[in-house]
Amino acid sequence: MSEAFDISDQAQDYNRFGLDGNPFPYSPVPAENPETYCGQEHATTTISSTVSKTLSTGKSKHLVITGKYGNGKSHTLKYTRSLLRDRDDIIVGYVAQPGEGFVDIYHEFMYDLGFAEVQNIAYEFLASVARDVTETNPVSGSAMRSLIDEGDVLLSEIVPEAIKRLSDITRFADFARAIIHMVYEDTNLYAWQWLTAEGIRYEQRKEMEIHTALDDDTMGVRAFTAFKNMLLELGYTAVFVFIDEFESIARLSSKDEQATLNSIRHLMDQNSEGLCLLFGCAPEVWQDVMSEYHAFSERIGQEVALRPLTNEHLYELVEEYLNRERATEESGIHPFTADGLDMILQRSQGNIRQVLSVCSRLLDAAAQAQRSEITAEFIEESI
Amino acid sequence: MLYRQRLLDLPHGELQTPVLFPVRNLGKRSSDNTPEYISSIPDLPTAMINVRAIRERDPMWDRLTNGVSLREEMEVPDDTIVYADSGGYDFSEKDPDTTPQETLETQRLLEADIFGTVDIPLSRENRSAENQRRIDRSIDLALEASTHHDGDELLLASVHGYDPETIRNGIRYLERRGEFDGYALGSLVPVRTDYEKVTKLVLAARTATDKHLHVYGLGGLVYQPLLLYLGVDSFDSSAFIRSAGNRNYLLPGFGGEELWNIDDLEYLPCPCPVCGSRTLDDIREDRDALVVHNLWALTTELRRFRYVASAGRDIEDYLDLRFQGNEVTQRAYRIAKQQVRRLT
Repeated sequence: MSEAFDISDQAQDYNRFGLDGNPFPYSPVPAENPETYCGQEHATTTISSTVSKTLSTGKSKHLVITGKYGNGKSHTLKYTRSLLRDRDDIIVGYVAQPGEGFVDIYHEFMYDLGFAEVQNIAYEFLASVARDVTETNPVSGSAMRSLIDEGDVLLSEIVPEAIKRLSDITRFADFARAIIHMVYEDTNLYAWQWLTAEGIRYEQRKEMEIHTALDDDTMGVRAFTAFKNMLLELGYTAVFVFIDEFESIARLSSKDEQATLNSIRHLMDQNSEGLCLLFGCAPEVWQDVMSEYHAFSERIGQEVALRPLTNEHLYELVEEYLNRERATEESGIHPFTADGLDMILQRSQGNIRQVLSVCSRLLDAAAQAQRSEITAEFIEESI
Repeated sequence: MLYRQRLLDLPHGELQTPVLFPVRNLGKRSSDNTPEYISSIPDLPTAMINVRAIRERDPMWDRLTNGVSLREEMEVPDDTIVYADSGGYDFSEKDPDTTPQETLETQRLLEADIFGTVDIPLSRENRSAENQRRIDRSIDLALEASTHHDGDELLLASVHGYDPETIRNGIRYLERRGEFDGYALGSLVPVRTDYEKVTKLVLAARTATDKHLHVYGLGGLVYQPLLLYLGVDSFDSSAFIRSAGNRNYLLPGFGGEELWNIDDLEYLPCPCPVCGSRTLDDIREDRDALVVHNLWALTTELRRFRYVASAGRDIEDYLDLRFQGNEVTQRAYRIAKQQVRRLT
């Protein structure tokens, strides 16, 4: 057997630094629900203002966050999402990248919400109908589900009325039927596939009496608008859509790029209320969009650029990460020294992804070399 | 495995379930031409009748309202157990022309042991909204029947739906608001070739209630083992009459075979009292003999299942064998087995 590799599951000992483990990620990708955010005060102010305006007025407002690769666009979007997710009067969905067109954005948005959430919304809508047409008073989707399961409410009494009302609200009868079919175990997977624009067979559509296919940008805009209108009817304040890596639209053909931007523009035009779009985009692509697609960029109105980390922010960031694994009451940047962090900032040019990656490697290297501090000299030797 | 046996205490005697109710065409155009089977098939003292058809047939109705009992009219013993269905299939194109109260009065006059509530069946051809309306209406009619029923007869509420939620929800809704001795699942005949759907619907009903569960119209050879496995207490079938009309010879494990496909046999393979001593030609020419044989075939199917259960043999092994010849029913049985195993 070859002994070229030395593979072990023995954990590195970080005790000498007063740490229980290495707090920096080996692969610095944004966490799904980030707990920390530091620096970028100008960006947080703008994002807070955009989000708050939508929340307080119910009017739609959109924003583009630009920044070079690794400066924290995804982290910013995901952090904002984690702040918003706790509110029960809004719906927020994260789209990792826009794909080939708006229908892909819609698909990713629905998938981010997930089957259970959309099903619960369907029950919420039935609850709103049940409150009107029965003597029951379900206050939530889960309460409605219990009433149906226990036989307190008759499905056949509320379903036709629910489909009628939802068709009136959304002006999209097929969408209404798909939402209501989310509560039937025989058809809820077909309904989910249709609602997420995955495509279903004609026979499956027929079983739900859905006549159209949801398979292009126009239908995607229509379905999204229907969904948002339903949510507003249910008392939600707004729907937030965070579209990351928007720069990837530059990879599309000119025709497809224009079609995607046009679809988003239509979406914004059809939703003057209750919609907040946040885009994460590389600055060079956003510049092109600004210069070539006025109709789209003018509707967004605002842009905020993420900046590289400053010295002060770097200290704050490193301290926050270290505190996560502190075994003692100690705080500060130890085992990193000030000159060490200065060198890291210089080498990484303030790019947060590189900072995290370098810090992670340096901490491991220092532990292996049995060093108690990470100085500029050590960094010079190690990198 | 949900198969179960119970003893029903009914006005005309005790009845061991699970049991088949052969459909009698009393009151229909070819009015009761079913050959005598009660007594000659000892474990089949049962009959399913259509209340509306009887009421609509004036001469028969006159006799029944002038002192002739239903059992006399049918020429069956007094201890025959009669299930009186409301005749819902006659309402498939229109709203009922009767009320729950009127139907109950007729069921009482006929001295039925089991009453089915007035219902309006569904059809796959209907728009969903129309089927929902029918489901809703049937539930209302059942509740109305519950209000008016106070006798010793079993009152089974008719329940319809083409999805498990609707079935469960309907039964539980009725359970909360009415007084029923059990439930009868209807509207399955139009979807009978969709074995998976039917299996799910029956299972939804079975899990929604522990009370008596009847399934309308699916007591034929193929469905019987599935229904028994799913814990259905009773079922009815007219397959024995319809098949005989087409000279179709029912045989457990083989399904139906048209007799004109068989030429050079002197005796058929069934040992029942009809076939055991009569030649193929005799049976081919005698529709009544074929009807009775077919009923023996349905009874044999039920007896076999009872035997497998009683002998402590593995019922799932038996059903694996029973369904191996047909891919569609085999798949339906596999799905049923998965669902049942999750429950037990």
